[in-house]
Amino acid sequence: MRTLSLAWLLGKPSRGRRGPLLLTAGAYTLVCALVLIVTAGALSFDRVQNELTGMYQVLAALAVVLLVVPLAVLGAAAARLSARSQDTRLSTVRLLGGTPGLVVGITMLESAATALAGALGGVLLYAAMAPAVGLVHFQGSAIGSAMWLDPRIIALVIAGVVLVAALSGAVGLRKIIVSPLGVRNRTVTPKPRWIRAVVVLGLIICISLVFSVIGSVASLAIMVGVLLTGFAMGIGALNLVGPWAVALIGKAKLKKAKSPAQLLAARMILENPAQAWRQVSGIAMTAFVAVVGGSGAALMNSTGTGMDPNSPDALLATDVMTGVLLTIAVSFISVACSTAITQAAATLDRADLYAGLHKLGMEPAVMERARVGSVMAPVIGMGIGSIIVSAALVFPLAGMAIIFAPLSVAVILLTLVVGVLAVRGAVAMTPVSQTLAH
Amino acid sequence: MIEAHPASGNTLNTHPVLSARDLRRAYGSTLALDGVNLDIRAGESVAIMGPSGSGKSTLLHTLAGIERPDFGSVLLSTSAATPRDIATLGEKERSKLRRESFGFVFQSGLLIPELTAVENVMMALMINGVPRAAAQEQATQWLGALGLAGMEERRIGQLSGGQAQRVAIARAQVTGARVTFADEPTGALDSATGAEVLSILLNSTVGRGNTLIMVTHDADVAAQCDRVIHLRDGRILAQVAATQGASTQRSAAGDTN
Ligand SMILES: Nc1ncnc2c1ncn2[C@@H]1O[C@H](COP(=O)(O)OP(=O)(O)OP(=O)(O)O)[C@@H](O)[C@H]1O
Ligand SMILES: [Mg+2]
Repeated sequence: MRTLSLAWLLGKPSRGRRGPLLLTAGAYTLVCALVLIVTAGALSFDRVQNELTGMYQVLAALAVVLLVVPLAVLGAAAARLSARSQDTRLSTVRLLGGTPGLVVGITMLESAATALAGALGGVLLYAAMAPAVGLVHFQGSAIGSAMWLDPRIIALVIAGVVLVAALSGAVGLRKIIVSPLGVRNRTVTPKPRWIRAVVVLGLIICISLVFSVIGSVASLAIMVGVLLTGFAMGIGALNLVGPWAVALIGKAKLKKAKSPAQLLAARMILENPAQAWRQVSGIAMTAFVAVVGGSGAALMNSTGTGMDPNSPDALLATDVMTGVLLTIAVSFISVACSTAITQAAATLDRADLYAGLHKLGMEPAVMERARVGSVMAPVIGMGIGSIIVSAALVFPLAGMAIIFAPLSVAVILLTLVVGVLAVRGAVAMTPVSQTLAH
Repeated sequence: MIEAHPASGNTLNTHPVLSARDLRRAYGSTLALDGVNLDIRAGESVAIMGPSGSGKSTLLHTLAGIERPDFGSVLLSTSAATPRDIATLGEKERSKLRRESFGFVFQSGLLIPELTAVENVMMALMINGVPRAAAQEQATQWLGALGLAGMEERRIGQLSGGQAQRVAIARAQVTGARVTFADEPTGALDSATGAEVLSILLNSTVGRGNTLIMVTHDADVAAQCDRVIHLRDGRILAQVAATQGASTQRSAAGDTN
């Protein structure tokens, strides 16, 4: 009861917290809506039954697996921002003698309430978007009413979003619970080590082995299993190598830095490569999907030019391309949104420092360039890096796609560029100058 | 009030570097500055004292061009250039002035936690267009001169409060600031460390012929300055020459009253 009344008292959004709260709720809205749309899309493949239905289900499962990561990152970013914007008040509660249990209770309540509001908004967003998304053609016809999910599934998704939000809110608060002053003292994050590179190399060898046996597998079920295992290992490898690669980018930038903004940006990357990676992991994976899936789809399209456009094979080729583009789009929306949120939290964190540096005569533009550079350098570096690596992994395929289906390849690349621009736009949403204006 | 305006020509070679006239600043119904007149001569050290909320920080920020007064002027005359009224300059020009001609040491250092000690100091030069290598060399020299040799590569979190404050002093001085503004520079330090930091601050500013303006709550700290200004409710109550501590070659600049 005490928890409830205190949560109510503290939960009333003050002016400074309205921004973060809205952003958090907005993120949950987007997560919920995207999860619903992706689920509906994946389930819609049961509409048409033919010899390729199994194949469709495999591809849909793959798309879902690939989207889990950026959506999870987005959800986690929202939870962190929510916890962060509560930090100060909750530290006060702790200093005034509130028990850890009370603090956890307040946080979980507030996170859950924000997530619930966001998720309900997400259902509305899903309902608003479903007719438009329903126009997308798969298997020769529009998805249409198959976009409407069973209400029980919708309820399940809402419950899932709220539960995950409440739990991650509590996890994000561990520091306050350890010590009332805990949040003030930033801990030094451990640096990624080269040993990861070795593990990753091993994983890559396993992956290529896994994919090389795929042709000889007869049963569809086993093939699905092999494919998913391969992808899971790929994601694992990426997450191991990611922070390390981001740190490499940071070090190279630090060495080359000439201007104050470049120096600061490089140091901001090196400060926490793991976090910088989390922001761009979605980009790396999207680039991977784009190259592998895109080359495959492009080739299928080009070999199928003489075919009857309504034959199942020709439809599959078109559909794979549609699927790849949709996956890239959803992935980039999530990445852009989590970037916006992470940056909102970071700018919030540094408001005092920015104001202080401005007093010393540093132009807000310099700080802004540093902040943007610290996000965009890894985005562009990792984006290009993973395009090259994935193209090398599926070299013959990618090479042939460029020769035989240059238009499709161009479309995929254009989508990637638009995605990067979306991330750039997201970074611009919380400018340094905002914290200086009062 | 004679005390508030030391007659020009009082002492040879001591023209006012900063000259504030009738400064007024209101926050809502609070008068943070209520008609402040003040001349600060080149090479002088001035302490600003007064109860909490009396307008000390507001005065410091206004003199430094961080904030603009609602009314009044702040004339800055460095070197041969014609005096400029800081109060009328635009935001960009004031920023430029702050990073080129002024140095700042605040209670909380305001050092960038991601950067190393030497990078924090270099930054002050680099934002003025000094190339990185030259900036690094000068920054290293300043850190060495302030007793931080060997700590250049440490991050700010790996320094003690006194060491961090010395980094802040190095950053304020590395550009050759003509005027240094300090707001409770020893406020977060214990008295021994505070005394050490204060003597470093005095040596690296007035000790080199530059000017120091410092807000402090500590009478012992204020006593080390040439002159102490007392504020209350946004007005200057009295300014007195320090009776002790100020070095003999600087005491000539003190106000007699
Ligand atoms: N940004 C602001 N908005 C509203 N009021 C302000 C602002 N800054 C200062 N004030 C008010 O102006 C008056 C003078 O403030 P100032 O910070 O100059 O005091 P101070 O002498 O430095 O106090 P302290 O010793 O506590 O630092 C106070 O009444 C303060 O509340
Ligand atoms: Mg003050």
